Amino acid sequence: MRRSILGWALTVLGLCVALLGLALAVFLGPDGRRTTGPHEIETDGSVVVTAPRVIRWVDVQVDILVEVPVKKPIFVGLGNTVDVENLVDDVRRVEVTRFAAPWKLTTVDREGERPTVQAAPTSLDWWLADAAGLGGASISTTLPDEPVSLAITSIGSSNLSGLKVSLAYGIKGGFLKGLGLLLMGIGAVLGGRMLRRGDPAFRDDDADDEIVYVYVDDDGVEHQLTEAEVAAGGFDVVEEEDVVEIEDDGPPVADDGPDLEVEAESEPQIEPEPQNESEPQIEPEPQNEPEPRIGSAPTYVWIDDDGVEHELTEAELAELGDDEYEIVDEEDDR
Amino acid sequence: MSRRLTAALTAGALVVGLAGCAVPHRRGDGRIEKVAATREQVTAIYERYREVRNAAVELLDPTPLSTVETGPVLAVDTGSFEVSQKLKRSGEEDKGPIDVTRVETPRFSTYPLWIFAVVRDSERDIQRLQIFERARAVDPWLLVATPEALASTKIPALRHNGGGQAIVVKPSDRRGMAMSAQDAADAYARVLTDPTAVADAGITEDAFIRQMADVATKNGLLDGVQFEQSWAAEKVEQVLRTSDGGALAFVTLLRRDRYTVPLDRKITWPEGSPQQALLEDGIQGSTATLNYYHQIVVYLPGGTAKPRAIAQFGGVVQGEAG
Repeated sequence: MRRSILGWALTVLGLCVALLGLALAVFLGPDGRRTTGPHEIETDGSVVVTAPRVIRWVDVQVDILVEVPVKKPIFVGLGNTVDVENLVDDVRRVEVTRFAAPWKLTTVDREGERPTVQAAPTSLDWWLADAAGLGGASISTTLPDEPVSLAITSIGSSNLSGLKVSLAYGIKGGFLKGLGLLLMGIGAVLGGRMLRRGDPAFRDDDADDEIVYVYVDDDGVEHQLTEAEVAAGGFDVVEEEDVVEIEDDGPPVADDGPDLEVEAESEPQIEPEPQNESEPQIEPEPQNEPEPRIGSAPTYVWIDDDGVEHELTEAELAELGDDEYEIVDEEDDR
Repeated sequence: MSRRLTAALTAGALVVGLAGCAVPHRRGDGRIEKVAATREQVTAIYERYREVRNAAVELLDPTPLSTVETGPVLAVDTGSFEVSQKLKRSGEEDKGPIDVTRVETPRFSTYPLWIFAVVRDSERDIQRLQIFERARAVDPWLLVATPEALASTKIPALRHNGGGQAIVVKPSDRRGMAMSAQDAADAYARVLTDPTAVADAGITEDAFIRQMADVATKNGLLDGVQFEQSWAAEKVEQVLRTSDGGALAFVTLLRRDRYTVPLDRKITWPEGSPQQALLEDGIQGSTATLNYYHQIVVYLPGGTAKPRAIAQFGGVVQGEAG
């Protein structure tokens, strides 16, 4: 039931998105915009400007081409309304007070003391988009989220007589975005349909690929078989049943018949870890025994008649006999 | 593929797809306003200012300064340059990094636009509280105020709107404060002209008032010389709301020192001083006036506390003999 509601919701949403995308693509066309013009604006002055709040759209891509005959210099710029209003303050001008797409203008002639703006518009640094040229100029920009006005001015001593304006507006990449929405909507519609039908794509992994073969013997006892056993055993598949939903990971319960309790394989009990054997106590290190002092063995030196010294061991000395030598000097060599 | 994952991917694709589209819509907010300047513009303003100032310093010529300064700041700087010219004393170019520690760009619905910035001068251990103003859409950004405070002086925190811009207060607005910014400016002019008025003026006798009073007292003690001093406040233009509900006001004061010197006396100023440059021969047997501009930043606390000056800048701008 819940899946069905979700499916329908997704279908309706997808349909809306698809229709929106289709309408967008058809309305804007392959270049993503609507074009109108050239339209003539009657003026013999040097400034045409949109009044505050005439341009109120945001994130719309606009392309504006302004043209004047005989290659007169002309400027077109889009700026914050605060800047533009100050620029044209007290300047005689044509003011566009209302505009409706594709091209419906209401204009008013505003009086002013000055015939044109006080500075070369190209020298100002606050334009959001601007261009100047001989006989024509064009800008292409996306309308920002701030109050903006459009100004068209002549440059130097010329005027704007014969002014023609062409306008294109749309969404940047609007055609592709429309197609994208259309595809997205179609995808959502299909997704909704699949959801309503309980397509396996919308099932959980656990239920997706698991096929369980059950053989019921003559005693009515069910035996679970593997796919290989089924293939080898020549069984006939007499009934196919979708297990619709597995809510949890607990043991499966047969729909009909006696409850079959499947005992989980008894897992080998993990023996309790042996407690750490009592480590042998480390005997206290024996205290350094006092090292024996190494004493010097006595050295016996016998001096023969020629005055030559001969070193003797204690045994050699004993062999000589007491009458053969006499100890004449004892010297401690330490 | 699990159901949840499928649903998440579908929702994600929808969100990403829709977020990628900048959906055209009509502006709900009909207010006509603009932020005075962007960060990039502020950087460009300071770079240009320093470039022009360094050129002026190098040439010892104040003329280029008029493209980056105006009003009292230009007048005081021009006076300094003229003194340097006469003394053939070159200044030092500012080649170190500009340490702009704080920038506030309020929103305006009409011109003039202005920005407030705090610039630290490590060499002198001071901070400058500067205002750059664009008077008309066709004008450049010009420095109009640059009072100085000690580096240790705490500049009151400002209040900001939802967009993060500092809030501008009308100079005549006194809501939440002991007086309006314009009233405070007028009170300063009154007290500086007559120090005994401080009790009734509703302002604090701060360091600036005491310093100016000392100067006036010394000048008044010149033997045989008649000295008069008067002050006038100009129209306050730049006021910002502080976070305590008060305001920070940039006030410009014009000071006129008038000396009447008998024939047997002569007033001169030290060599190299701006006054000496303006009145080279001093004053003897005549009357002369020296005009000064002083810019102060007055902090008007929220509530009933008295306003006080927290930064100042000034200098002599004109000398009139006769």
